[in-house]
Amino acid sequence: MNLRDRLTGARLAFAGLVLIMVLLPSLATAFFVNFVMTQTLILGLAAATIVFLAKYGGMTSLAQLLMFGIAGFMFGNAALAGGARGLNLGWHPWAAVGFALLVTTVAAFVLGAIASRTTGIYFLMLTLVYGVIGYFVFAQIVEISGPGGITSIQRPDLLGPPIRLYYAGLLLSVLAYLGFRAVRRTAFGLALQGVRDDPVRMASLGFNVALHRTLAFTMAGFVAGLAGLLNVWWNGQIDPASISIGPTLILLIIAVIGGISSLEGAWLGAFVYVLVFTYLRDLPLVDRIGITEARFNTVIGVIVLAIMVLSPEGLTGIGQRLRRRLRRRVAAEAAPTAGDSLPVHTTQKELGGTRP
Amino acid sequence: MKRLRRRTALALSITTGLALVAAGCGGGDDDSAGLPADQQTSDADGSAAPPTDGEGIRLGILGQCEGPFGGFHEDVVAGTTLALAQFAGATPNSSTSALEGFSGAEVAGTPIELVGIGCGDDTADRILQEVRRLVEQLGANVIIGPLSGDEGIAIAEYAKANPELTVFAGISGSQEQTLQVQAPNYFRFYGDGAIWSAGLGDLLHNQEGWDTVAVIADDYSFGHTSAAGFVADFCAVGGEVTHRVFPPLGTTDYSSYIAQLPNPDEVDGYFWAVGGTGTQAALEAFVNGKGDLTGDQHAGNLFFNPGLAQALGSGIAGAYVGGFATLPGDVRTPEIEEYLAAADATWETIPGSLSGNEPAPPSVAAAFGFFYGYYTAGVALVESLEAVGGDVSDLGAFHEAISGLTLELPYGDISLDDNRSGIVDVGLSRLALDDSGEVVQETVAIVPGVDQTFGGTFSPDTPSPGRDFPACEERELPWEGNAIPVVDGVPQS
Repeated sequence: MNLRDRLTGARLAFAGLVLIMVLLPSLATAFFVNFVMTQTLILGLAAATIVFLAKYGGMTSLAQLLMFGIAGFMFGNAALAGGARGLNLGWHPWAAVGFALLVTTVAAFVLGAIASRTTGIYFLMLTLVYGVIGYFVFAQIVEISGPGGITSIQRPDLLGPPIRLYYAGLLLSVLAYLGFRAVRRTAFGLALQGVRDDPVRMASLGFNVALHRTLAFTMAGFVAGLAGLLNVWWNGQIDPASISIGPTLILLIIAVIGGISSLEGAWLGAFVYVLVFTYLRDLPLVDRIGITEARFNTVIGVIVLAIMVLSPEGLTGIGQRLRRRLRRRVAAEAAPTAGDSLPVHTTQKELGGTRP
Repeated sequence: MKRLRRRTALALSITTGLALVAAGCGGGDDDSAGLPADQQTSDADGSAAPPTDGEGIRLGILGQCEGPFGGFHEDVVAGTTLALAQFAGATPNSSTSALEGFSGAEVAGTPIELVGIGCGDDTADRILQEVRRLVEQLGANVIIGPLSGDEGIAIAEYAKANPELTVFAGISGSQEQTLQVQAPNYFRFYGDGAIWSAGLGDLLHNQEGWDTVAVIADDYSFGHTSAAGFVADFCAVGGEVTHRVFPPLGTTDYSSYIAQLPNPDEVDGYFWAVGGTGTQAALEAFVNGKGDLTGDQHAGNLFFNPGLAQALGSGIAGAYVGGFATLPGDVRTPEIEEYLAAADATWETIPGSLSGNEPAPPSVAAAFGFFYGYYTAGVALVESLEAVGGDVSDLGAFHEAISGLTLELPYGDISLDDNRSGIVDVGLSRLALDDSGEVVQETVAIVPGVDQTFGGTFSPDTPSPGRDFPACEERELPWEGNAIPVVDGVPQS
């Protein structure tokens, strides 16, 4: 009963949030919707793939922004018809979308297969290497990246007005969120979590550990590719610097701010990041204490540091802790004499180890 | 105690978060301006208002406060501020920094208000976010900037997609932003990377007798563009480029690239378009790989400067140097003196990049191209407003007035070509030994009226300058043989 109540509450909150997001364009300014929220949804969608891999597969990937970039570059090469930059294949925009997603997914499969036998810090380093190599591939092979980036990328007509891009971001975010949660309960998702917790045992039970990891990486690559497409439609251009080491780390930082063990944290982290980026300098008097726009990265760094110290599960961890404390207080008030049953603690395995 | 502290920290972070959200919503409500495309689809959004045309100029300046050119943030904002202080009655809010903004600027009854200063980091993504903040959140209707090459292309594309905006480029040196993007509301009152190499080939081939040259340039857009200008010029007058070597940007060990160059006895000279910390490193690798420098055999783009002598010795003397937006300090005309004096009268000090971001007389920053490019943009804004009597409600007329301007500026007159890119005078110089044996930069010639097509080598239909483009071809150059010699800092016209 208690469990069911809680689930319903969470679902209600989710539905309410989605409703607010749907109505947002009539509540907020165009800038807030088209810049702040659209960027939040794009970055959140990409960061959610990091969380998905970390939470269900135990893999912290730094290659997600590369997938994001591959999709963007491929769309630009395929969709542009003329000009001095890229391959100029001049395909129909939706054919270009299919091509971009296909290339991204295949790349994710191949890279995932290579990385699937590594775990922990080695997986992190290998995906970092992917990110760096990917950057240099696009920086050096100028035929597919410009030279100096692909510009003038137009959205498909269907997504012409910026507001539709926002709704596309919202739709894909909701689908990705629900999809990742649904995958968790499938046979594949359960096996993936088994692989995360004890790969040796799963292998001895007959599961193909490497294949599970590869498929999870491929799935995450596909979703990151969707985010990459939204990004080039939103930004109108992509260049090798867009997927260099700086932005790669920013995406990980977004996942960490929100909480790398919670899917919804990805969007929350992205929201905080974009808010700080956009509005920090508008706060009264912050420039008097030396926080100018040039110190933006310092502020983000301090936020990450504070979160690591105060709540390793990120902002969603803070929220969960508050809720838990509130519930405990309510329970204590409701049953002050409860002594007949032992308290039940759930044990959760997380990135930082096991936490009661 | 621990719990209390944690609670305080939590409360603090929540308060900060709420304040940020409040700032977000509040800031948006007051000044937000949507794009026309937004308004078509979000009619319900009552707060979206068109940019405040007719009420005056809402100016946004795009600089770079981070990245490789972060040190020039103060310089570029000061450049525009000086133009408005000189010709529009603006008063800087601080006597020691331009970043504090200015007040009281007005031209022909139209006030110019600074709504914000964008902070780029040398990437196109970042500058797009900054310009969107200035235009879509703060309601800027005129933008001055950006600073560097790839940013310029991105901003020109943004201008093209937002025809209600007017952009005066800052000092971004890529060729495509005007030649290929061709946004009707994007104006550039200075040269580009290729233009700044113009005349050098003519001088080296016809005066110094170079027939063959090896080119070494950074493997990115500015290196390509700078080399392309030299190749186009040198080949047009009959020279031959035997080698082109492109080390990646940020290389520290240039020895393998130097090995790809011919030996000094196999070629008449070398042209270097290697910038930043690479200039010195590459030349040192040359000394190690090919033997001592003989200045007569070398030429470089704007990154060659007397400071190189500190590490390389006076052997570098004799090298020719391409131009930039301003002329080297030895040229002192009354107009230049007046311009530098005006800078010194506007602020007490400016912490510009040339003084290591330490307070220095403003004329130090003003004499360099970054400051000057933004200055020309500011002058163009003032003169175009004067031309339309301060009325910017008819954007077509305003843009036409800008296109037709000929600015009489301290370092030479500037007008625009059909693609709204500057036709400029380029000053060529040479590193030379002065009486005390120090290496100094001396202007040797001014090449008048250089445009970005190089007599047809570059056009909207040609590829962007790259590793193989342009090919080495002889052709007519409008400025061949027209260079005005400069002796002891005095043009001999």
